[in-house]
This record gives sequence, structure tokens and C-alpha cells, in this order.
Amino acid sequence: MEGASLRGGGRSVLERSPLARLPDRALRYGLTALAAAILALIVYFFVRLVGEAAPAFERMGVFGFTFGSEWNVNAEHFGALPLLVGTLITSALALLIGVPVAVAAAIYATELCPVRLRGALTLLVELLAAVPSVVYGLWGIFFLAPKLQPAEQWIAGKLSFIPFIGGGTVTIPNYFITGLVLAIMILPIVSAISREVIATVPTDQKEAALALGATRWEMIRTAVLPFSRAGIVGGAMLGLGRALGETIAVTILIGNAPRLSHHLFEQGYSLAAVIANEFGEATGLHRNALFAAGLVLFVLTLLVNGVARALVLRAASGRNRAGSGEAGARLAETVAGA
Amino acid sequence: MIKNRIGALAGCVALVIGLAACGSSSSSSSSSSSGTTASSGSSSTVSGAGSTFAAPVYQQWASSLQGVTVNYQAVGSGAGITAIASKTVDFGASDPPLKPADEASIAKNGSPPVQIPMFLGAITVSYNLPGVPSGMKLDGKTLGDIFLGKVKTWNAAEIKSLNPSLTLPSTAITVVHRSDSSGTTAGFTGFLATVHPEFKSKVGEGKTVPWPTGTGAKGNAGVAGAIQQTVGAVGYVEQAYALQHHFTYASVQNKAGNFVLPTLESTTAAGEGVTVPANLGIKIKNPSSPKAYPITSQTFIVVNKDVCKAGVPGGESAAKGLGKFLAYGLGEGQSILSQADYSQLPATILEKSKAAAAGIQCNGTPIGG
Amino acid sequence: MGTLDRFSVSPGRRRRDRIARSAILGATLIALVPLVLIVYYLLRKGLGSWSTSFFTTDPTGNTFFKNSSIGGIKSAILGTIEIVGLASAMAIPVGIAVAVWLVEYGKESRFAQTVRFGVDVLTGVPSIIFGLFIFIVLVVGTGSTYAAYKGSCALALLMLPVVIRSAEVILRLVPPALRESALALGAPRWRVIFRIILPTALPGLITGVLLAVARAAGETAPLLFTAGYTLKSNFNLGQFMNALPLQIYYDVTSPTTSIEHRAWGAALTLVSMILLLNVLARLIARRSRIG
Repeated sequence: MEGASLRGGGRSVLERSPLARLPDRALRYGLTALAAAILALIVYFFVRLVGEAAPAFERMGVFGFTFGSEWNVNAEHFGALPLLVGTLITSALALLIGVPVAVAAAIYATELCPVRLRGALTLLVELLAAVPSVVYGLWGIFFLAPKLQPAEQWIAGKLSFIPFIGGGTVTIPNYFITGLVLAIMILPIVSAISREVIATVPTDQKEAALALGATRWEMIRTAVLPFSRAGIVGGAMLGLGRALGETIAVTILIGNAPRLSHHLFEQGYSLAAVIANEFGEATGLHRNALFAAGLVLFVLTLLVNGVARALVLRAASGRNRAGSGEAGARLAETVAGA
Repeated sequence: MIKNRIGALAGCVALVIGLAACGSSSSSSSSSSSGTTASSGSSSTVSGAGSTFAAPVYQQWASSLQGVTVNYQAVGSGAGITAIASKTVDFGASDPPLKPADEASIAKNGSPPVQIPMFLGAITVSYNLPGVPSGMKLDGKTLGDIFLGKVKTWNAAEIKSLNPSLTLPSTAITVVHRSDSSGTTAGFTGFLATVHPEFKSKVGEGKTVPWPTGTGAKGNAGVAGAIQQTVGAVGYVEQAYALQHHFTYASVQNKAGNFVLPTLESTTAAGEGVTVPANLGIKIKNPSSPKAYPITSQTFIVVNKDVCKAGVPGGESAAKGLGKFLAYGLGEGQSILSQADYSQLPATILEKSKAAAAGIQCNGTPIGG
Repeated sequence: MGTLDRFSVSPGRRRRDRIARSAILGATLIALVPLVLIVYYLLRKGLGSWSTSFFTTDPTGNTFFKNSSIGGIKSAILGTIEIVGLASAMAIPVGIAVAVWLVEYGKESRFAQTVRFGVDVLTGVPSIIFGLFIFIVLVVGTGSTYAAYKGSCALALLMLPVVIRSAEVILRLVPPALRESALALGAPRWRVIFRIILPTALPGLITGVLLAVARAAGETAPLLFTAGYTLKSNFNLGQFMNALPLQIYYDVTSPTTSIEHRAWGAALTLVSMILLLNVLARLIARRSRIG
């Protein structure tokens, strides 16, 4: 109300002079300008790289390049399909293996772990992020891959009736070991973000579930996970980004065979690896082709991110429509149905 | 509140850097010298980039040479040529000789390109076959067939006929090749393409080729590791690497018909009798000397004829340093090559290299001496 | 715990609970196995190189003579601190600022969606492309040579999407009630952001920032064509500079065994440095939570 001053000496917004509003407006415009600048930088980045990639697209055609099945440097024939498939396979593996483990570790750290061990556990998982990518590659190829080879050979042999997983020759560098090491590399980021998100679930929601007689797991399933879903997906997307773009480790582990292998334990190639491998020695059209491969990777990231966002939005709106009552209803069902 | 925390963190970082600075200013030799000549005992800084194969040699030469700091990056021959063409370094280094397109892009800087052969290295055929620690003989045809995937076991007739005195097991042959672009691959495939027509048409030669069979491994270390881990594996490994790690390698038949092991002498011999074109762009392909090891590779330093006119980043001071570096490398540097299992240039080529190095100028004045 | 006597839990539910909890514990242990293996491997291969002179001498460039000194990794350690330090100074404030804008001002507007979209694209870019972009723009484009700050620029580009994304996730978690009550009390927007929202989100923000810094410190590819390479320590960010990932990358493929060992010692050093940074930052965050 006019003339009234608030406790603490602040004046009501209505009374504030234009001068006092200046910092707010400065902040708003400053931040908006910054966001615009970052967007401009990203666009410039994209444009420059399209410029470098253009000659390759001209020579091969956009579809010819992206879906061409042969990457032959000497013949200057560049088709990125084996690279694309390799990227998809290894990243999918990384997500399939890495995200459940990471989220589980996050749940354990926040919900089930004894309080004293919480800090140590968090630190240990984040230590995985401290290892440089070249070390992951070397450790993978010199330590892990040879150790896993017997098991891989056994699986390929015994399960040869399953397409893709079984059959084929087992080489030491292959899709599987690459996906596995990538999963380890994305663990810390997915786990850390999931942990932060899970930790912010309101305690009263959790306690309400427990008070209604839910077991620990049921409480997690109904009160914690639905609430954290969007944030966990955000963390997973960051992990996926890492997996898609990882260069040095993949180039050591995947075998760099510009072939479309049809078996999990065979060598392949990836979009990021081809750039790391060949850029040092590439000139002319070859170099343009490598930039073009980078562009294909951007578009891939775009598509995947778009799909993920759409999924999260749909899940969120679904939950909003039903209201938080739905979670409660589900819980009550579980308890009653026992 | 937060300001205090952030201030504390920033303070810690600053403290660490400050301590490091104090600690280093007493113990490190020359710190932040840019290419400017200091007072007496001027130390000039030269930058170079290119061949990974040549890196250990250039690093060692730089370390042995007083008064010149050479910052060399082993980013690959192709990147080295790009670097010198775009004037981001003072000299480039490449294993394969310059292609006409490369020459043109370097000449754009206002001065014609000069490539100077610096030293030689062999490419060994290393294998893992317990029970055959030495004495394996292979010729170009058999090698080509192995790397085409046509010869599948070690006791195949082709290999047996070349090695009647060896007991060869029936182990399967696992081919290991480089998965990254490399001059070593270019050298190896260059040899195979010269002596094996089918290999030439099916696979070709170059830094990256479509290998029909085998596992790819990254770098010499990767190939070496893969060979060591797989019984029956065979692959091509740089000489320095193979010698220093005591690998088992085969002797290869040269043009004159002799089976020669990759030694430092046989590698130098490979350079004898090679036709040296006017631009010194030698390519050793199946050399004719009877003592030569046939799979040998060369490496070049690439600069503009007039480095200052071309506008190298280090300027005049770098030009002087480059002159000293080249003189050392082609002089005393040749004699220490054997210490790390690299081979000297044969006398004929060495003379031409020295002449070329003497011809490098900075705004008209030779940089040597 | 959590069950009242009157509502006894059915055996089915109890079993499911136990299975789920064991599975979660099992998965957590699985997550720790690679860590143990890698740390053991690093210690085994790298600890032998550690000595006082390892940290206080520059690498000498001696690659041949078996008995002469190859030096240590001092220039690499200093270089990493300098290059990553500059990159962080560029990326962290900008990244958090953009995240604040996205959560507080941009929200779901068209423009904000576009910015998010752009950031999403950036998260998937291979690290080498950032280096190549800076190479094209700042090295070849300006006709100049390599410099440490150019490496920092490439790393900052790498860190930016990670910082923005993770900060956005964290800032969204700040309860709207907190924001609204502060505004209702008449606090100006900037004060709400700086005094309430950021401090509340600080521990989470630090987590995201540390992940970005750790990633940047361990990346080789962005530095390959930007920062140059030298064996000597220097404090001039306009000059060539060494860095631990570069040293490791070049050393690990050397034919000389002692140099290969130096690479592993350097790898162990890098991991230890990042661990120390983590511990330090966590301590500071904990004090701010209580304080």
C-alpha cells in the first residue's frame, strides 16, 4: 500500500523509482544480449564448418555422402554410412549400459546409502570423469579388450543364432568394447546430474509415500523417479553427447575399419574417430569430407536431442494432466493390492 | 556470502600459480622468450610441425643443439604441409614427397618450396610366432598375398618354399595393419604396390588404404601391442620401434634377389642408387642396391626457399635458428641417428640435402652459418 | 523401516523391494569396478615415474640416449593449469549466465527454445571439431601461429554446452516458492538471483562446473591444432604451451620405453590434479551450505 514500508526496509515494487529498477533492466538486457551472442556464435560455428564441408557434399551429393556405403580415401570416394552406423551402435551401447548403472548409482547414493559413505561414493564416481580420454582408450585396448576377448568369443560362438550379437570374427578392437568404455566414460556425468536431481525431490513427498506403507523401492519408484525423470533425461542427453562426440578413445578402440560390420564383436568406424584419425594426413577433398562427417554428426545429435525433448515433454504433460494425484493413486493401488 | 567462497577458490588458484611461478623462475632455463633475440648468447625459437615418424629425431636434435629452441609438433605429414603452407610454423615435416598441389599451396606464400631429405627409416615385417624366433624369409609376392588374405596359415606352401629349413606351425595368420593415416602405411603399401600387381589394383598405396583383411590398430604402439597379444599375428612396424622393443621380424627379398634384414646399414644402402629428382622429392621404392632393405622410407623438412619473404611466424630470428638446426641435422646429427635406431642418408643424397639447405635464404641472405 | 505394524507388507512386495535394492546396490558396485581397475592400472604404470624432479623439471626432448635425462613434466602441469584456467574463466561465468537467462527470463519463448536447440547441437560435437574451428578462425584465419589462449578458446567452446546444460537442469530445481516469496517481499530481480537462487543452487552448479573442467583438462584433440607445443614452461598465454594431455599423447607412442613411462606418470598426475580440485571445491561448497 502506498506509504507502507516493508519489514527489512525494502520498499514495495510499486514505489520503486526508475533508477532503482535500473540494475534489473541492465541484468535482463545484459543476459539476453549474452544469450543472443552465444546463439550467434553457434550459428557462425555451423556456417564456417558448412563452408569447409561443402566441396565434399558437392562431389558426393548430400545423400550420397551421408548414406554412401564406401569410405575410400585413395579413390576420393566418401560415403559415411559405415561411420554413421558405427557411431549409432557405440552410442546406443553406451546409453544402454551406462544410463541404468549411473541412475542406479545415483539412487543408491541419495536414498539407500549410509550417510557416512555418501560423500566418498560421490567422489569415487566423479573420479571417473577425471580420467583423460586417451587413458580410457589405452586402458581399454591394452587391458580390458584382451581380458574380455575369450568371453566375447564364447558369446559369439554359443549365441550365433542371434543376429548381430552372435557370429562373425571376434577382433580385439570392436563395437562392443568401444560401447562399454564409452558407457564408463559417461557414467560420472549422468550419475552426477541424476544425483542432484534426485536429491531435490521434496522430502514430504517421500515421507508421505513411506507413511502410506510403501516399501523403500516403492517409494523410489512412485515418489522419486517420476519427479526426477526430466532431469535424468537431461543428464542422459549430456552423456549421449559425450558418447557421440568422443574422439580419441573411440579411435583407439573401434578398429577404424571403414566397413559396415554386421557383428557386435567386429571392428567398425565412427564419425568422430575418422576425423581424429585422418585429419593429420588429409589434404584437399579428403579434408572437406572429414568436416562433412562432423556435420553429419551435428545433425545426428540434433535429431536425437529433438526426439528426447519430445518424449520428455509428452511425459511431463501427461503427468500434469493427471496431476500428482496419479502418483498417489498408483501407490495406494500397490499397497492395497498386496 | 558466495562472493567469499568464490574469492577463496580464486585465491587458492592464484596462490598455486604464484608458487609455481616463483619455483620455476629459479629452476627453468629460458621462459617466455618469443622469437626476439635476447642479449648475448641469443637463443632463437623455431617452430615446426609434421611427421610423427621424424618427431623423436627432431626432438633429440633440438635437445642436443645449444642456443636454439625447437618446438616441434608431431601432428602428421599432411597437417605439417598445411601448417607450413598457412605459415603457422617455421618449417614443416613430411614423409612422402610433396605432391604438385602441395607445392603450389606452399609457393603461394611468395617463395618456391624446398624439400630436404633428412634421414631414412625402415619398415619391418614383425610377427609373433613362438618357435620361430628368427630366420623367417619373405618376398614381395608372399607378403602381398598375406596382406591380401590369400595366404591364411603359417605353414602354407608359399611360405614353406621360402623357408625350407624352418619348422612352421599351422597357426592361422592374423594380419595387423595401421588404422590411422600414416606415412608408415604409405611406405609399406608403396613397396607392395611396386612388387605385387594384384595388391596394387585391389588395395593400392597411400597413407590410408582399404585393407581387405586383418585388424586395425592405432599407431606403431597399437600395431606392436596387437602383434604381441595375438599368436600368429604379422604386421608392419617402424624400425626404431621394432629394434628398441626387440621384436621378431622377417628378412625381405630385395630387387637384387637377396634376403635382407632391416639393419641401419641396409636401410642406408636402400638410399643408394635412388633417382634424385630436381626438387629432391625422392621416393624409395624397391631399391636396386644388393645390400638394400627394400621397405624403406624417407622423410623431409619442407620450407620456402626464402623463409623471411614467405613470412614465417618466427621471423628473422627463427630463420637463423632454422639454419643452425638444418646444419646440425645434416652434420653431427647424422652420426647420432644410430643411437636411436634411425638410419643416415647415403653420401650422395646427403650432399644434395646440404646444398639445398645452404640455399635457404632470409630476404636474400643465406640462413646458414 | 517405514511400515506400520497394522499394515503388514506382503511377502511379494517385500521380495520385490529386496530384489530392487540389491539390484541397485549391485549396479553401484559395478559402476565402481572400472574405477578400481583404471586407478590400479594407472598406479602400476605411472607411479614409478613419480619423483620430485618429475614435477619440477621440464621435459628435455632427449629421446635417444638411454642414460641421459628425459626430464619431467613441469611445463605440462603448468600449461594445463594455465590453459584450462583461462578456458574456465571464459566458459563458466558465460555458461551460468546463459543458464540463468534460460531459466529466469527466456523460459519457453521461441528465442529461448532456439538457444537451447543450439546448445544441444553443441553437446554432440566431437572435441576435435572445436579445435579445428578455432584453427580455421584464429590460426589460419588471422594468418598467425598457435598460441595457448587459442587452445583455451577451443576448450571453452567444449565446456560451454556442458556448463549451460547442467546449470539449467540445476537451476530449474530451485523451488519456485523460494523465488516467488522473495519477489513478493519486494526484492528486485537481480537480488533474488544473486542472493537466493544462485546460492541455493551452488552445490549443484559446482558439480556441473567440475565435470566440465575435468572434461576440458583431459582433452587432447582441441589442443592439437591450436595451442602449439613446447617443452619449456612459460607464463605467456600468447605463446606455444605444453599441456598434460598433449604430453601424454605425444609420449605414449614413443619407441623409447622411458618416455612411454613418463606418459603414464603424466596421466596419473592429471587424474590426481582433478581429484584434488574436486575435493577442494566440495569442501568450499560444504562450508557454503552450512554458512
